[in-house]
Amino acid sequence: MIWQNIKNAFLSIKSAKLRSALTAVGVVIGVFAVLVMVGVGDGVKADIEGQISNLGTNVLTITSGKLTQSASSSDPKQQKGSGINLASGIGASTLTEADVKTIATTPNVTSSAAFGIISSSVTKDQAVNNSAFVIATTPSYFDIRKLKTSQGSFFTDSDNNKEEFVAVIGADTKQSLFGSEDPIGRTITLRGKQFVVSGVIEKSDAGVSLGANPDDIVIIPINSAIKLTGKNDVFRVIAEVDSEKNVEKVKASLEQSIRSNHSGSDDFSVLTQKELLNTFNSILDILTTFVAAIAAISLLVGGIGIMNIMLVTVSERTREIGIRKAMGATFGNIMGQFLTESIIISLIGGVIGVLASYLAGLVIANFADITPVYSPIALISALGASLFIGVVFGTAPAIKAARKHPIQALKSL
Amino acid sequence: MEKNKSEIVIELTKLAKRYDDEAGVYDALKEVELKVKAGEFLAVMGPSGSGKSTLMNIIGLLDRPTAGDYLLDGVDTNTLSDKDLAKLRRDRIGFIFQNFNLLPRLSIMQNVELPLVYEKIRTAERKRRVREVLSEVGLLDKIDSKPNRVSGGQVQRAAIARALINKPSLILADEPTGNLDTKTGIEIMELLKKLNNSGVTIILVTHNPELSRYASRIVEVRDGLLTEKEVKK
Repeated sequence: MIWQNIKNAFLSIKSAKLRSALTAVGVVIGVFAVLVMVGVGDGVKADIEGQISNLGTNVLTITSGKLTQSASSSDPKQQKGSGINLASGIGASTLTEADVKTIATTPNVTSSAAFGIISSSVTKDQAVNNSAFVIATTPSYFDIRKLKTSQGSFFTDSDNNKEEFVAVIGADTKQSLFGSEDPIGRTITLRGKQFVVSGVIEKSDAGVSLGANPDDIVIIPINSAIKLTGKNDVFRVIAEVDSEKNVEKVKASLEQSIRSNHSGSDDFSVLTQKELLNTFNSILDILTTFVAAIAAISLLVGGIGIMNIMLVTVSERTREIGIRKAMGATFGNIMGQFLTESIIISLIGGVIGVLASYLAGLVIANFADITPVYSPIALISALGASLFIGVVFGTAPAIKAARKHPIQALKSL
Repeated sequence: MEKNKSEIVIELTKLAKRYDDEAGVYDALKEVELKVKAGEFLAVMGPSGSGKSTLMNIIGLLDRPTAGDYLLDGVDTNTLSDKDLAKLRRDRIGFIFQNFNLLPRLSIMQNVELPLVYEKIRTAERKRRVREVLSEVGLLDKIDSKPNRVSGGQVQRAAIARALINKPSLILADEPTGNLDTKTGIEIMELLKKLNNSGVTIILVTHNPELSRYASRIVEVRDGLLTEKEVKK
């Protein structure tokens, strides 16, 4: 019977090719939209994961504000899915010069770098770059972040101590200000002061993540920044631990000592790379879910399209229903026949949507920095969703068909 | 399905059908009494609007009476669910319609096997039985054709084959020649007569007195009442 129903469904779809195709398009678009959105989200996630783990799993990030609910807890169960409170990280930093010293002198910390963010556009003659991230820090930042120069060199501790106005710039920043010219020894302007470019950072292989381009960056010595702005605002401190197995221990010790610096106030967070990753992932998950939910509306619209066409099909085929009932078809037989038809239209749409999103993934990977990732779960869920849509939106028309009175149905034209 | 000639296939007792809708109350059938024996060829005559279509629908289990009893092969149909009625239509009744009522998308084979599909008979067995009834009605060579590729007479032969496929207790033929030319109509009637001679019970509904000569017994429906007209030897 199921096989007969499938055969009948294909016969019926074949007899109204254009209509069936247009109906399936609704589901195609829905499945495609959801898959691409989730795929791009997962792609960005994989990208960030790569970037963060590249930085080394033995790096701790100390940031102002209580970023996660369980930042002070080392219990992994609590860290998992910890709520994030982004607002607490915004505003005047609670980290102080004393904290920076505490971090630097904590046992097992091999290296640390405090950094602040200067809001300024970067100009060179007529060229203006408003997008660059301007960071003020110490030379150890380069080591911990594992940065390399493609041209020139990084500034040194001596440059920092002498409050030299020197800058290291990212590959994209260099491109936007100097084009193909050699920037070494030339000057750029930050807040009206001229900085000599000492080096260009090698282009990172990571893509654009969360809107921050790692290659559009200007790094200046922290002491020079204090001289420029008149204040020392520590945005974050990164600290390298001698070995990965000491990370949790150092984290606990840092939390204790910084808390005592802050007179017992929990207004900071010490995050491992994994926690940082979780923080990014939770943001991305929220974004992905939100966008996918919007895309899912198109799936819903696709389902309504199926219902609409199935209702038309049922009225057009009233006579067929009458004949089948006269030949002994039961309520269940007729219902099964029309339900199978809507499920098959929806599944065809789902399969095409999956293929289309796969192709779109190849195109996106080619033309953008993001490689969408389609997990098997996402693909199976997409097909499951189209099956579900077929059942949900096919049921009402199928019931309508099965309920038709044989005599009225036979009389209809 | 050779039945004992004296066996009663249909027994209607005080059967009535009342329509009660916006148009008002209307008695299509009033206390109809009828017994049909196995092997009979019964012609139900009557002008349009007499109630004979309503009677056919009830006998064909497509509709239910509002009063009275209908026993089919001794089974009281009043007590049956819609699903049971569908099964009885499938197994005990063959329909032949004026406008053939074959499904245009399906081949002759697929049309004829329809009742067997609903009976969940296996493909090979279905094919075997379809070939058997198609050769009986002389249409085996058209087994894979679509109904619109064959003549009207051939379509009606296919419909007769479909009606025969389950070896039903009776065949209900509703103006079977109404959409056919005279010559083809006679061929179809001859075929029905032949089937009747081989033991199939047939109820023919018509307003055409010409056709009644094929019947062994004639009844007339008029104003919702049934009267016996003639019984041949």
